[in-house]
Amino acid sequence: MTKKKTAFPKKQSGPSSHHHTHGQGQCVDLLRQLSAYIDDELPSDICQEIRRHLGACPNCEVFIASLQQTVTLCRHRPVPPLKPADRVAMRRAILNEANVR
Amino acid sequence: MRAPAPKTPPQRPSMQEPDGFDRLYRDHVDLIYRYAHRLCGETESAKDLVQETFLNAYRGLKDFRGEARVSTWLYTIASRACIRMRRKRKGEPEHELSLDEFVPTSEGEFRLQIPMDGLTPEEALQNKELRQALDQAIDKLPNKYRMALVLRDMEGLSAKEVGNIMGLNERAVKSRLHRARLFVRRELSARGITNHDDHKSGGLRS
Repeated sequence: MTKKKTAFPKKQSGPSSHHHTHGQGQCVDLLRQLSAYIDDELPSDICQEIRRHLGACPNCEVFIASLQQTVTLCRHRPVPPLKPADRVAMRRAILNEANVR
Repeated sequence: MRAPAPKTPPQRPSMQEPDGFDRLYRDHVDLIYRYAHRLCGETESAKDLVQETFLNAYRGLKDFRGEARVSTWLYTIASRACIRMRRKRKGEPEHELSLDEFVPTSEGEFRLQIPMDGLTPEEALQNKELRQALDQAIDKLPNKYRMALVLRDMEGLSAKEVGNIMGLNERAVKSRLHRARLFVRRELSARGITNHDDHKSGGLRS
């Protein structure tokens, strides 16, 4: 039987496994996969493992929320529409340039 | 003897058609302007990029075989032109973003937050500081990371399409995208913008 892939190395300790040093170990391994997690590209067993970790680690939970918010803001970043006058002027400039060069 | 099959008209824009370029321009200028504005962050540079893109497209139209979608072809031309133009303007080599630099070193850094709780993204972006911080963060990104972020998260293309445009495999696209998002997240969080629907100014703690 093949061994399941893990999102990050299992901790050795028992009940105290929820307490860990941030910036190391599980949290860092999680950080590497957060975009894949947000984009729903990870296998379900790894997602489950991540969710378990997030439930136990408030820091990672806040971190992933802020990364998710970053993606959401990027997706909604406004862009001003092209003005009709600019559309006409650019077309003219392109055709002039194409005929000159 | 079998008569030669009638030639079917090409399904792509062609310079042989009198209005070939006009059709290409009319159908895609808004798309490319939006992309250019997202990459450049301001109107004049975006217009320069649009002109450069369509000028190159005008010249390359006769060689376009229609293997890719027209929009993908134009995105590719625009991306290359953007790299050339920014390199010329800034004159500095691109730096790499390492994942290690995004590992928070303190609990406070881990828990930095972006002020949009309970707000829709549109409402959150009414906060001028947040919008400026987002624009500046994206502008600070090295080209290749900004491009992956814009194409994937703003233009909504798949990692595969982004790879075709940037000449990368999907894995490399995802890696760049992840670093770009972490960079923007850190920039936004580190600005310490407060949640202030009813404040007209202030909020930056740094």
